[in-house]
Amino acid sequence: MDELKFRRQAYGEPNCQDEDFLTAMHDSPERESFLNDLKKLDSKLERALKVDVPEDLSAKLLLNQQLHQHQAQRRKSGFTLALVASVAFIAGISFTLLRMGPVDLGEHALAHVYHEAMALKVDDNVGFDEVNFQLASMGTLGNAKFTKQPGKVYYSTDCDFQGVKSLHLVMQGEQGKVTLFIVPLEDRMVLDEAFADNNYIGKGFATDKAYMLLVGEDTADLGYVKEEIKQTFI
Amino acid sequence: MFSRSRNKKSSSTVNSDMLSKQRRYDSLVRALHADIFRYAYWLCGDKHVAEDITQETFLRAWRSLESLKDDKAAKAWLITILRRENARRFERKQFNYSDVEQEHLEDVFSSSSEDQAEQHLIRRQIAKLELEYREPLLLQIIGGFSGEEIAGILDLNRNTVMTRLFRARNQLKDVIEQPQARGQSNG
Repeated sequence: MDELKFRRQAYGEPNCQDEDFLTAMHDSPERESFLNDLKKLDSKLERALKVDVPEDLSAKLLLNQQLHQHQAQRRKSGFTLALVASVAFIAGISFTLLRMGPVDLGEHALAHVYHEAMALKVDDNVGFDEVNFQLASMGTLGNAKFTKQPGKVYYSTDCDFQGVKSLHLVMQGEQGKVTLFIVPLEDRMVLDEAFADNNYIGKGFATDKAYMLLVGEDTADLGYVKEEIKQTFI
Repeated sequence: MFSRSRNKKSSSTVNSDMLSKQRRYDSLVRALHADIFRYAYWLCGDKHVAEDITQETFLRAWRSLESLKDDKAAKAWLITILRRENARRFERKQFNYSDVEQEHLEDVFSSSSEDQAEQHLIRRQIAKLELEYREPLLLQIIGGFSGEEIAGILDLNRNTVMTRLFRARNQLKDVIEQPQARGQSNG
């Protein structure tokens, strides 16, 4: 190792432990003392570079991190809350929209008859005034009413069946009982002229104020009640 | 609701992950905060700014602690973050601190004895060194990095690093070993 290379190395890295460098140093006492001077300089530099560190710096660093951590968690939980809220919101909206969907009145009428089977058994002998009162209190049928008693009425109640408001009447037909639903006119309703299942047959028609749905066991009964309604319901 | 039990299980592992991350971070702070602060100080020449940069550096380190795979590389990794933070500071401020402040390096470490007077002088001289000479020297003496490692951190080749180290020591040796002449010219 020549003198220039040795000096460059000594200045660049006085604590170098390369064998070449160490051998070169041991070659001459001048080099050794030269290197010792540099090492002394280095230890002075090291002391000078080691400026005082603020005493509580590490505590501050940890505190700062903890604070940020805390904030991040709060942001995260805020996000979760927002997520839950929007899911609930979407659920609410879609539930409402589902209820707004089209309603098949025939299906609805049959389901309702099965749902309130007891309606066919009771005999309240309801007067047409009382029926008119219930019609009026539904509030969605305008001033629709019966002008006189439409034959015998066994049962009358207003009900909300899966979102469809209607008046539920059980009337006397020619032979058997006929269930009549009076449903306010609404766009989402789909009216079937005739419908049936294994036990019942049904007829549907619209007046200018409401849909009328008749459910019974015999066609003749249905025709009979239909005529009666047409004469008494305005 | 059905996911609650699953959540509980995974949240406990998350907690233990958090705990070990916290422990790792704690030891990182304790072991390296002094070196990082000193490096920051010699980069910017101001105690308070250095503290700010150190805070930023460690916070950033916390956020990306997962990316530190090898704990032995922690110091170099932190210094890389620190240098980036320092550069960011210049982008923000739009003027060069090192030009302004290093000339008026604040005398926070007051000197009473002769030894401290000498140290003060050395500090002034180090602060006066060009940054490109000062940084390799810092990395070598404070950081304890080899020429190769310094080259890696500063993104230079090793020969350039060695040359800069040579010049840095050369300049410092000259001024420190003739304090008289230097002191006079400084007034």
